[in-house]
Amino acid sequence: MSLDNLRNLYQQVILEHYKKPRNRGKTSPVHRHQRGHNPSCGDTIDLTLQLDEAGNHIQDVKFEGEGCAIAMSSADLMADAMRGKSVKEALEMIQRFQAMMKGEAEFPKELRKLNVMQGVAQFPVRIKCATLTWHTLKAALELAHSETPEYVSNES
Amino acid sequence: MTLTQEKTLAAQVRPDFPILHQQVNGKPLVYLDNAATSQKPLVVLDALRDYYERDNANVHRGVHTLSSRATDAYEGARDKIAKFVNAASRQEIVFTRNASEAINLVAYAWGSTLKQGDEIILSVMEHHSNLIPWQMVAQRTGAVLKFVEPNANEEFNLEQYKALISNKTRLVSILHVSNTLGYINPVAEITAIAHHYGARVLVDACQSVPHMPVDVQAMDCDWLVASGHKMCGPTGVGFLYGKLDLLRSMPPFLGGGEMIADVFLDHATYADLPHKFEAGTPAIGEAIALGAAVDYLSSLGMDKIHAYEEQLTAYLFQQLQQIPELRIYGPRPTLEGKGRAALAAFTAGEVHPHDLSTILDEAGVAIRAGHHCTQPLHRYLKVQSTARASLYFYNTQAEIDVFIAALREAVDFFASIFG
Ligand SMILES: Cc1ncc(COP(=O)(O)O)c(C=O)c1O
Repeated sequence: MSLDNLRNLYQQVILEHYKKPRNRGKTSPVHRHQRGHNPSCGDTIDLTLQLDEAGNHIQDVKFEGEGCAIAMSSADLMADAMRGKSVKEALEMIQRFQAMMKGEAEFPKELRKLNVMQGVAQFPVRIKCATLTWHTLKAALELAHSETPEYVSNES
Repeated sequence: MTLTQEKTLAAQVRPDFPILHQQVNGKPLVYLDNAATSQKPLVVLDALRDYYERDNANVHRGVHTLSSRATDAYEGARDKIAKFVNAASRQEIVFTRNASEAINLVAYAWGSTLKQGDEIILSVMEHHSNLIPWQMVAQRTGAVLKFVEPNANEEFNLEQYKALISNKTRLVSILHVSNTLGYINPVAEITAIAHHYGARVLVDACQSVPHMPVDVQAMDCDWLVASGHKMCGPTGVGFLYGKLDLLRSMPPFLGGGEMIADVFLDHATYADLPHKFEAGTPAIGEAIALGAAVDYLSSLGMDKIHAYEEQLTAYLFQQLQQIPELRIYGPRPTLEGKGRAALAAFTAGEVHPHDLSTILDEAGVAIRAGHHCTQPLHRYLKVQSTARASLYFYNTQAEIDVFIAALREAVDFFASIFG
């Protein structure tokens, strides 16, 4: 088996976040709740957000759900990275993550931990696993003022 | 155990399947996703090519030579399938796009005779194809769906079935071989019980027709469906078997050309069977190639295919059972590999099926990860997804060894990180 390729995908950091997630659970209080779903494999994610009073900054992100190592570690890494970010910054990061999955971008030094997900770009069928949590966050932030759908799906 | 037949069957047929002789991620391909779709032998590829190179014309619509050749070949394929499943008449075989369309045909054309309170018995183990059409019928007619659950052995619970069935039951629609649990249903017995109560029986034979002799008259089922692409045929063609009188009594499903006798502006009369159910230009080339697939399978012998797959099953389970982290779903086979299909759905401790599939793919091994279109069953088993290896007669013991070695490496890889 070409373990090199696999080691690039399943980096130590990714597996640690999969095994010992720091952000599992629900924020308290819950200001936003969004469910994400990958219909082709059944993976689900429930994201909760705690915002500041003005609703402009993310104070905390937590997730629940079931999925593969890529999906779950992506959620945990994202939650770490989002704490303290403004909604505008968060939306930019979502865009950057999606570009990174196409091999077109990476995160700057202060967010470099997210770059461990770069290996996923080499496994096109797994990109959906990595982006599920980011799609879900986008919906949670953007759909705040409209009707929230039951879940978002990353099938597009 | 000796696998002497392997030298004859798999070794004999592998040259017929060009796709198997390639490298994936630098490793020889080991294709173990046959329950999703099978590979196609050269004779099937040739049949498709020959048809388009020599005979292509529309069927039943011309008196010119090509049209007559195309029609003969298309109808010839129907004869082959009728013989293959031992239908009493060629008129009992209707070409559809796939098994799903065949079930929808019955659900629409026959399902509309159901009334409020009529009962349909399905099982929790059904493929979504044999569930959603009946949910739609229930919504339309007020019929009620009842479900047989797996028993402790993770097989169809015959006792529960006997308790559920009653004079209110109008239909029992069940699979012959489970694409997830791998058990083989006693369909003849299930059918006899249903008929005792005056209920009809539809058998989803997607996972049996490719792998074992299937005799619709011995089963005595009312309808049977299968997909060509899982039995060495091309995609885009499948078939419905139905008892002649029953098919006669059903109204058409889709309307259009081909299915008519006489057409007026305000009404029409319909063609005789089987054309009544084949509206529009069918998948002519695909049907002909499916006929070639049936010839190919028959020339190998369905008995021989089944016996060889039992040997593979025995070996597969013997090997899988040596990995303690695995939870394998469905009944155990006997030491001779009898009592279940040559497939295994399983979970592997800490390793999510998706991750497993990616790791195996790096080793050239193609398996399926997900819910295999049996989400309610997975929910029942309290597992979100499983990994599944499914074999066919061209797979070898050596391929099982490659799969098992890669599986063990994957399990160890995750275990080493978690300590
Ligand atoms: C048991 C069973 N039923 C039905 C189907 C549906 O077949 P198709 O998608 O070709 O209609 C499948 C294949 O996935 C199956 O395994």
